[in-house]
Amino acid sequence: MEEIIFGIGITALAGALATIAGAAEDTESDIGSQGDPNSQVQLAPQMGYIHRIFNKAIAGEPPAYGLWVALGAGLAWAFMAMQINPILAIVLGSALAVFVQGVYATTAYLGRTASLAKFEQPVYIDILKSMTTVTMAHAFVAIFAAVAMCHLIISALGHPFPLPLLGLVWGIALGAAGSATGNPFYGKERQYQEQKFGAGVPISASGNIVRYAEAGERNSLDNGFFSAKLGGPASGICFGLIVFFELWRTVVFEPIAAGWGAVIVGVVVILIFAIIDRYIEVWARKTFGPYVAPEEASS
Amino acid sequence: MGLIVSIILIIVALALAFFLVQMAGLLALVGIIIGGVLVGFGVHFVPVGGAPAAMGQAPGIATGVAMLAAGAGLAGLFGGAWAAPLGFPLALAGGAIGGGLLMAITCTMVNVVYIFGMGIPAASGKVDKDPITGDTFPEYKSQGTEGHGLPFISWVGGVVGGALGGLGGTLIYLELLEVYQAQMPALFGASVEQIAPIAVSLAGVFAIGMFLMNAVLAAYNITGTIEGPHDPKFKRFPRAIIAAAAASAVAGIFAIGLLELLGVF
Repeated sequence: MEEIIFGIGITALAGALATIAGAAEDTESDIGSQGDPNSQVQLAPQMGYIHRIFNKAIAGEPPAYGLWVALGAGLAWAFMAMQINPILAIVLGSALAVFVQGVYATTAYLGRTASLAKFEQPVYIDILKSMTTVTMAHAFVAIFAAVAMCHLIISALGHPFPLPLLGLVWGIALGAAGSATGNPFYGKERQYQEQKFGAGVPISASGNIVRYAEAGERNSLDNGFFSAKLGGPASGICFGLIVFFELWRTVVFEPIAAGWGAVIVGVVVILIFAIIDRYIEVWARKTFGPYVAPEEASS
Repeated sequence: MGLIVSIILIIVALALAFFLVQMAGLLALVGIIIGGVLVGFGVHFVPVGGAPAAMGQAPGIATGVAMLAAGAGLAGLFGGAWAAPLGFPLALAGGAIGGGLLMAITCTMVNVVYIFGMGIPAASGKVDKDPITGDTFPEYKSQGTEGHGLPFISWVGGVVGGALGGLGGTLIYLELLEVYQAQMPALFGASVEQIAPIAVSLAGVFAIGMFLMNAVLAAYNITGTIEGPHDPKFKRFPRAIIAAAAASAVAGIFAIGLLELLGVF
C-alpha cells in the first residue's frame, strides 16, 4: 500500500513536471515559429510582406525536442555516473543541451532568413540577439522539466529504459503534443489575428501575417506573450495529462488482474476522452452554429 | 516491379535470419515485419493537417504525419516496455493502449483549442457527413478553406492509429529484446541480469529507429495531409504496407544479425 501511495505521489509530480515542460515547449516553439505556422513566416516575404518575426524552423518540434531532451538526459546520466548529485546533474545536462539549442536557433534563423534575400527580407541582428536568448530560456525550462520527469520515472518507478533513451521517447512525445495543441492557436489566432474570429483562414490570405503591434513592428516576443495565455498552457495540460494517465494507470492498476487492470483502465480513460470530445464537438455546433460569411462594408 | 523486389528482399532477409540465428531469428524477423507493417498501416489513420491545419485551413492535427505518429508510437513503446516482464500479450496491449491514450488526449485538446480558443467548430473537407455520428459538415465549413478542427471520425482514426503504432513499436521491441537476451549472455560471458540494460537499450534504440523509418515511409505515401480513415488518401495504404514490410525486413536483419557480426569480429 505504501508503495502505491509513493507511486501516486511520483506520478503526480511527473505529471506536474510534464505540464511545465509542455507549456514551456509550446511557448518556445511559438517564439521561434518552429511549429507548422513557420511556413507562413517563410512565405510572407515572398508575398511582399517583410516582417520581424523570428524563424528557426529547420526541424519539426518532435525531432528537435527528441534531440535536446535526449542530449540533456544523456549528459545528466553521464554526470550521475560521475557521482554528481542527480539534481545538479540534470541542471548541468539541461544547460549544456540548451547551448546546442541556442546554436541551432542561431544558424536556423540566419539560414532561413538569408534564403529570403532575393525577396528583400533583412536579417535583423537585434532580433537574433534578443529572441535567441528568450527561446533558450524557455527551452531550458522544457528540457529540465522533461529530463527531471524521466529521471523520476526511472529511479522511483523503475522503468527499464536508460535515461537518454527515455529522454528521446518523451522528448519526441513532448514535441508531438506541444505542436499538435499549440500550433493552431499561434497560427490562426496570432499570425492571422486580423482575419474573422470563429472561422478558418481563407487560403487566399496565406502569407498575409500580422506584422504590426500596438506600437511599431510586431516581433516574436509579442507572439510568445500571446501564446503563453492559451496555446502554451493547453499544450502543458495535454502533455501533463498524457504522462499522468500513462503512469497512473500502470502504478495503481497494474497489480490488479495480473496486469490487465492497467489495460482496462487505459481503455476506460480513452472512452472518457471520447465522450468529452464528442460533447464539446456537439456543444460547438449548437453554440456557434453554421458558418456565416462576413458582410461587406456598405459605406 | 516494386512488389517483386520487395518480396525478394523479404525472402532474402528471412533466409539470412534463419542462417544467422536459426528458427528464433526467423520468427523474430517475422514479428519485426508484422510490427513494421502495423506502424505503416497505423500512420494512415492519424489525422494530420500540417501547416494548413495550424491556420484552420484544413482539418487534422497541425503537425507532421511522421512526427505525430512517432510521438504516439513511442509513448506506446514506453508502456509496452514497462509491461514486458508481465508477458507478451500484456506488453502488446500496454503498448497499444499507451499509443491510443496519447492520441485520445491530444485529439481532445486539439478540439478544446479550436473550440474554446478559436471559436471554430469541426468540419471535414473530404466528406459531407461524419460516417460515425452522421453530423453534416458543408454548412460549418469556413469560406475559402478545406474544413477545420477534428471531426469525430478523425478523433477515432487518431486513436486507432496511435494504438496500432504503439502495438507495432512494442512488437518490434519485444522481438529484438528476446533475440538479444538469448545471444548476449554467451557472447559477453555474463548473466541475463547483467546484460539486461544493454539488451533493453539496444532493442529500444532499434525499435525507435524502425518506428521512425516506417512512419516516414507512410508519410511519403500520404504526401502531405490526411483526415483519417474516411479520407480518399487512406486507400493508398497497401503500397505503404509493402514498403514497410520490405524496409522492416532489411532493417530487421541488421538488428538481429548485429550480435552475430560482433561475435565474428
